[in-house]
Amino acid sequence: MHAEAEAYVSALPVAAVALPLLSAILVPQIGRRSTGFRNLFVAIVVAIDLAIVAALVPQVAEHHRVTASVLPTFMGGLRFAVDSFSLLFALFTALVWFASTLYALDYLAHEKHHDRYHVTNLVVLASMLGVVMAGDLVTLYLFFESLGLVAFLFVIHAETDEAKRASVKYFWTTVLGGFALFGGILLTFALGGEGALQPLPQEGPVALKWTAAALLLLGFGVKAGMQPVHVWLPDAHPVAPSPASALLSGVMIKAGAYGIFRTVTALFRPQIAEHLEEHAWAFSSQLGIVVLWIGIFTMFTGVCMALLQSNAKRMLAYHSVSQMGFILAGIGAAGYLGAHGAMGIAGGLFHVLNHALFKACLFLGVGAVYFRTKSLDMYHLGGLAKRMPLTFAFMAVAAAGITGVPLFNGFVSKCMIHHALVEAYELHEVASLAFAEKVYIVTCGGTACSFIKLIGLTFLGKPKVEYGPEVREAPPRMLVAMGILGAAIVTLGVRPQLVIRGVFEPGLHLWGLHFDVLEEYLAEYFLRWGDISSVVVAFAIGATVFTVGMKTGLFHAHLPCWLSIDWWYLQGVRALGRGATLVWKAYESWLHAVAAALRDVRDGYGRARARIERWYRRATVVLSTGVTETLGQRAIARAELALEVERHEEVREAVERAVRVLGSAGIAEESDWRDAIDAVRESASYIAQRLFAVRLAAIQDAVRQGHARELLDRLEGLIADTAPCRDRVAMAALAAAADRRAGRDVVRRLAAAANAAASEERFDLKVRAAVRARPAAVDRLASRAEVAPTEVARGAREVFEASSAWSRSATVSWSRWALDMVRLAVDAMTRERAGRVFDTSSSEESVLVTRRAITRYARDMSFNVAVIVAVLLAFVAAVLQGR
Amino acid sequence: MVAGAQTSWVVPAAVFVPLLGGCAAGLSSAWSEKARRLVLSAAAVVTVLLTGRVLVQVSSGEVLEARLVRMTPQIWVHLRVDALGALYGIVASVLWLLALAYSFGYMADEHRLPRYYAFFLLSLGWTVGVAYSGNLLTFLIFYELFSILTYPLVVHEETPEALAAGTKYIAYILVGGSLVLLAIVYTYFLAGGQDIGAPLLNAGVAKGQLLAVFWCFLAGFGVKAAIVPLHGWVPDAHPAAPAPFSAVLSGIMVATGTFGIMRVVFNVFGVELVRDLGVGRWVAYLAAFTVVFAAVLAMSQDDVKRRLAYSTISQMGYVTLGIALLDPDAATGAIVHVANHAFMKGALFFCAGLFIKRLGVRSVRDLDGASKRMPLTAAALTIASLAMIGTPPLAGFVSKWYLGIGILDSGQVWYLAVLIGGALLAGVYLLPISYRMYFKEPSAAVVGALSEEGGSREAPFTMLAPLVGAVALVILLGICAAAPFLPLEVAKSAVEGFFR
Repeated sequence: MHAEAEAYVSALPVAAVALPLLSAILVPQIGRRSTGFRNLFVAIVVAIDLAIVAALVPQVAEHHRVTASVLPTFMGGLRFAVDSFSLLFALFTALVWFASTLYALDYLAHEKHHDRYHVTNLVVLASMLGVVMAGDLVTLYLFFESLGLVAFLFVIHAETDEAKRASVKYFWTTVLGGFALFGGILLTFALGGEGALQPLPQEGPVALKWTAAALLLLGFGVKAGMQPVHVWLPDAHPVAPSPASALLSGVMIKAGAYGIFRTVTALFRPQIAEHLEEHAWAFSSQLGIVVLWIGIFTMFTGVCMALLQSNAKRMLAYHSVSQMGFILAGIGAAGYLGAHGAMGIAGGLFHVLNHALFKACLFLGVGAVYFRTKSLDMYHLGGLAKRMPLTFAFMAVAAAGITGVPLFNGFVSKCMIHHALVEAYELHEVASLAFAEKVYIVTCGGTACSFIKLIGLTFLGKPKVEYGPEVREAPPRMLVAMGILGAAIVTLGVRPQLVIRGVFEPGLHLWGLHFDVLEEYLAEYFLRWGDISSVVVAFAIGATVFTVGMKTGLFHAHLPCWLSIDWWYLQGVRALGRGATLVWKAYESWLHAVAAALRDVRDGYGRARARIERWYRRATVVLSTGVTETLGQRAIARAELALEVERHEEVREAVERAVRVLGSAGIAEESDWRDAIDAVRESASYIAQRLFAVRLAAIQDAVRQGHARELLDRLEGLIADTAPCRDRVAMAALAAAADRRAGRDVVRRLAAAANAAASEERFDLKVRAAVRARPAAVDRLASRAEVAPTEVARGAREVFEASSAWSRSATVSWSRWALDMVRLAVDAMTRERAGRVFDTSSSEESVLVTRRAITRYARDMSFNVAVIVAVLLAFVAAVLQGR
Repeated sequence: MVAGAQTSWVVPAAVFVPLLGGCAAGLSSAWSEKARRLVLSAAAVVTVLLTGRVLVQVSSGEVLEARLVRMTPQIWVHLRVDALGALYGIVASVLWLLALAYSFGYMADEHRLPRYYAFFLLSLGWTVGVAYSGNLLTFLIFYELFSILTYPLVVHEETPEALAAGTKYIAYILVGGSLVLLAIVYTYFLAGGQDIGAPLLNAGVAKGQLLAVFWCFLAGFGVKAAIVPLHGWVPDAHPAAPAPFSAVLSGIMVATGTFGIMRVVFNVFGVELVRDLGVGRWVAYLAAFTVVFAAVLAMSQDDVKRRLAYSTISQMGYVTLGIALLDPDAATGAIVHVANHAFMKGALFFCAGLFIKRLGVRSVRDLDGASKRMPLTAAALTIASLAMIGTPPLAGFVSKWYLGIGILDSGQVWYLAVLIGGALLAGVYLLPISYRMYFKEPSAAVVGALSEEGGSREAPFTMLAPLVGAVALVILLGICAAAPFLPLEVAKSAVEGFFR
């Protein structure tokens, strides 16, 4: 009704946030000089901050809402707005912080990194105050993120492996929560909000509203330790140093509760007006019921888990989860009840305050026990009440607070939440809400049992171990810290009116809610039998569970891992990690495949280009000089040349010998002389020609069998071996020459001589011996297999081998036959011509080569001419056809 | 041509001062180191001042221009500065100044310094030219020079990897460049050689032709902007290049692609026409895929610079997404993100360079415990990483905030998941580096560095100062985002013009 109550601008909220932030910068500098002075400095800063927050009390009381704005350059500026509820949070924050800081000064003696702790302490204080005094969502988000991220340093402070694991889990859940919150806040803008912590416009798609609400709940809930996103909390709170645990559990998770409180009762409630239709509350009432059930679930599972713990700090951490469930149930009931939700709001927020006090006190007490005994295992302690009586007293007060013993603060808030639940049930008589109320009582019983266990096992009974002299009362500063909190617990338990009348009634009035019900509570129910009886029931349940549990060993039960939500998260995270690796591997192999394909294309291109170039070169060569030779052709050509030379040598040898014989015979007649010589030459030519043919045939046979390379290598030797034949040829020629001159037919004699010479020489055997020196074909296959076993070749061979043997052998034999025929024909033609056309006596090698080239050229040119003629004919035919 | 444009000598000066400085550096092989540094710093500082002056004048509503050369009777090589160009120019010159200062330390014992410094400053000149281009022809000239003449910087180390990366770079860039050329020629054919200002193309042209031009432009600039199927050169070029150049490569060069896309969407086609063509949707799909896919790949990288390179691809995906949503707030976010990303990624690459120089470490795994040797570098890395994932009040938050608002305004709520998912993945691939540096037992490399010299391995002042400067800018751009002349305000005025 007074939403637009005059906004009073004050510098105090800014000062409360800025002071610890700026002081944090100085801490390392001071700490380097003197630790004592630094401790003093930190304590004074926190005390001043407490004073600043306290100074806000009269301002808020007078003006209802105090605002401030600073740093206008940042996204429209950091805005602060403090109403009664904000002030409540800020007050207990500063108070608990002061106690914790005081306590830390002694407690940290055994820890390292003092400067880092104190810097973190101050920055987190500033962030926490920033969250609860934020005037708009951007500011809230900023401080919320810095709170979460910087508190990471609290969790990891000890830097043990356990602390590192816990802190990593803490960090990622915080980051995830932060992003959910970011999304939720953005969506409130999409719903027409302007970022202020004010009701959003009513219209807007419901799906979007639910998404926004879910994201906000998730984002704040992570911090608040709400089920099922509480998993970081039981790990992180125990590993931090105890004063930090007190802050984490007592104060920082309240930032989440604050957020959920504002989400349910500010953002999604209808506009503040004099009179509101019932259906205007529809959405916030549904949201409230969701939060209520989350709260019920959280409180029950939290307390169950707490009962199974033996580590005292871990047990307290699970109780933090459980107590946050109480708070959420209260806020949820308030949302469900809409305009009549005063009891839920008051109960929930009162419990926030109370929980901050007693949970911080409990952590500090357990920390003191640890400080002296170095043990946190409840089952290994006992009988400490005598050694540490004051600590015991404060712990007992705090335990009385959390279990809801009358005259301690928890009694009031728990009863108020209980009333809120009953009211919620009575509104529409929904049976499930009656069940929720029963669960609530049972949970209270579980809480009672837990703390009977904690106090009983730790402080009462007989010591289970021998304590040394170092186990004595905690140092005074630690006792003062616990004392402050204990005093507050008792004060609020006896005089709850301070908060109910001082904070809630004006706050509720500001938000347009009816608060008569609170007055009614104070008058009718506070410390009356009705409420006390429910506490008695709870304690009865607690004592029963404790007895049963201790007797049966129920408290040491181990739940299967799949029952823990944590385990499922871990599986999820692992799956995500594996998924990411899988994506990377898939991507990488795809890259490789692409690269390989590209390389193949490049190589294929290179091969194709090389092939085309080769064709081109060959074609040019063919066009200019005729067809180039293959290896076999070259071998035959070389052999032919060499044999030709040999033939000429044989003839010359015969002629020379004839000249000598004639010279000695003394023939002077010119014509006689010539005739004789001619006769010898002709005879020798004939024999030499026959020998030439036989040798060439042997060579060609060898080439045909694939020994061209070996032949080329050994040709010189082979030819040199033929030299002894010259003699024989000359003798036979001389012998035949006389007959020839006489005009007798000597062909048969000459042929016989040639045959004799050939059979004497057995050139073919020599050739075979020469080439058999190396098993050529096998060698070559082997070398080929060695040199180029490319994938493609192998593949092709496999395909080839896979095809049927019959077709292969048939093809091979047919093609071999055809090739042989062609080769025979070509051989016959060329040999005949080479023998016939040039039969002169020049044995100059160059002349022979040239002659041979001309022969070949003539042959090829004739082919070319034939082709050209054929083309011309075709052309002419085409032209004629065209007509 | 818009009336009221006034000819100013500052505009060509801002382009030519770094070009002249680059030429001087190229001739400096005989100079003393001191003289060379003096000339280089003078050129860079003067460029910052000139671009700053241009920004101030443009923000106060003036339109500056200068005509350089008349190519044909119709077409001039013509500089003309609007808010977007002015912002891009100052971001480039500031980052270049930081990277140049960093180079003095980083490159001290490298080879062929005149070549390096010459091309380094020349590329600043081309970049400012791209930013200040008054028409598409001018844009093309500077863009191509900028693309091609940075090749010597990519391959500067002349290792086989660097040369291979350079080949890949030049192949990608040339293909992209020719597509841009094709698109620009087509645009000239359709619209004539008007200045950048009011949208060049209009709905009168056949839709098929418009689509062809658009996708040509997008494929061409997409190569530079590293949109996912076209991003191949980025992860190779960054680790190969020297760290200071990696910084500008990531911060500005890749962003030049997105700058080109902005020019195409806002100036060549105009928002209305793009909306009518219905192509924004598809570009947004591509961009969203880029954001997530590159971030997932970045998680698996062990080389710090390669991880940062994938991060760049992912972050540029945000910018493209912001453009493609065709919403004023999203466009503001995109433009601001270009500026913010330049300094965030610049700072991160400076850190990566320090790890290489001071510890000889390239791999994330070897950075364990490095904060004890390099506390300032570790702090800088952490701040820049947090900024990158969008933690308030650092720079990244501002751009992601506007992108988020834009996404919601445009009604495509599911892109919020991309925005948040990408930021979360950024956390997953960046923050473990910080964690390792602070909380893991020192690795062999770090321990080796310790036993070698003992004590701190913190970099010398020349390298640390630019890093601290970049981080300071990251903080400043967050905390003072709304101050005049800072990216947010300039981007808002630019976007106002585009969405008139």
